[in-house]
Amino acid sequence: MLALLIAVICAVALLTVLVAGLLRSHADILRALHSLGAGVGDPARRADGDEHQDRPRTAATSMATYGAPLAGERSTKAHDLIGVTPEGTAIALAVNGPGRLTLLAFLSSGCVSCRRFFDELADPKGVGLPSRVRVVAVTKGPEHESAPEVAALAGRRMTTVMSSDAWSDYEVPGSPFFALVDGDAQRRIGEGVGGAPAQVADLVRRALADREALGRTGSARNGSGSGSEAVIGLSGPAREADNDRRLIQVGVLPGDASLYPSTLADIFATSEREASAG
Amino acid sequence: LTKLDAYGITADLPPGFEGRIFRRTPAPGERTYAVAQFATFALPPTVADFGNGAVELMSATDIFAVLFEYGPESAHNSLFRVPTIPRRLAGDHFVPTVLRRALPGQSGTQWFFTESSRPFTLYAVLGSHRARATLVPSINTLLAGISIKSGAT
Repeated sequence: MLALLIAVICAVALLTVLVAGLLRSHADILRALHSLGAGVGDPARRADGDEHQDRPRTAATSMATYGAPLAGERSTKAHDLIGVTPEGTAIALAVNGPGRLTLLAFLSSGCVSCRRFFDELADPKGVGLPSRVRVVAVTKGPEHESAPEVAALAGRRMTTVMSSDAWSDYEVPGSPFFALVDGDAQRRIGEGVGGAPAQVADLVRRALADREALGRTGSARNGSGSGSEAVIGLSGPAREADNDRRLIQVGVLPGDASLYPSTLADIFATSEREASAG
Repeated sequence: LTKLDAYGITADLPPGFEGRIFRRTPAPGERTYAVAQFATFALPPTVADFGNGAVELMSATDIFAVLFEYGPESAHNSLFRVPTIPRRLAGDHFVPTVLRRALPGQSGTQWFFTESSRPFTLYAVLGSHRARATLVPSINTLLAGISIKSGAT
């Protein structure tokens, strides 16, 4: 009897040790996932002390996130820049404001393909950029970049801001990366990578042409360009909310039969009737 | 507001303003002090201390302002006897003849003062003298957000 009791106690103790070990292993795995940014909970919260502890916890930030945000998930908000120049000047640069149009070139001294951009974007007209576009080179701050190296690459011909916060604000995935900011709308109207300065200039011209075309469309539809422009750039929940608002305005409420077409006739019947009536 | 802070000068920039605070690299035997430049337009990469190279780019609705620090020995000079930065400028403080670079339509004002034992001059330019009634309040908003600490240069 005593032997059986001792055996049970030993078995319970062994199981306790095993469960404790499993729990510890589980905690280590969770911590490792957190440090990789893919853990359960706020992925921005680091295991070794959180650098974003003041960030409000929302449903969105509590979801697991894998990799960089997709195009539709990226913000289009424009942020003014604060940093230093390679020469050590404290600089605050406004991109928001009437008439401002700024091409932010996120470059790095360690990126070989960036060198060409440092050289050629110093002469915006030479690469075919519209004269009203201000070109600003943005590198990471002096804590990540060598200021003398950036100074050697950028020279004094181009406004250069060293700011890691700007890279974070604009969600820059790597260099070279470009963002075109419309100061009137206070948002980015284009962003992405480009292989050569002339290619970036072409993308800028296209973005400006699109903006002007949308402005004209908005003017024709609404009597002013502002209504249309306000919608452009919405994404995710904001776009969905805007869609809901517009549907409600025209009397399409939640549950409306038109939201649940069962045949093609449900979708095209109206236009067919209009065509036959015309 | 965007906060710019260097060499003991702190500026809470109103929306639409940008700025720089720097100190020139001194030539041998020279001493240099802080310079702060503020503008409502895109400042070019290289601007002279009092705005040469920038004021030419101003539109009628633009503002340029500079705080230029002098050596501490000047603090005892009667020119700098005003004990604080002027914060409430008026339209009639601006005249075209004060401009360091006279450009048609523009006007300027210049004030000398000492704050926190540091002697400065404030030089401000309006893109349009005719629009001074609407532009001067913006300068006053900028000046209200500037503070100067002692002994930082």
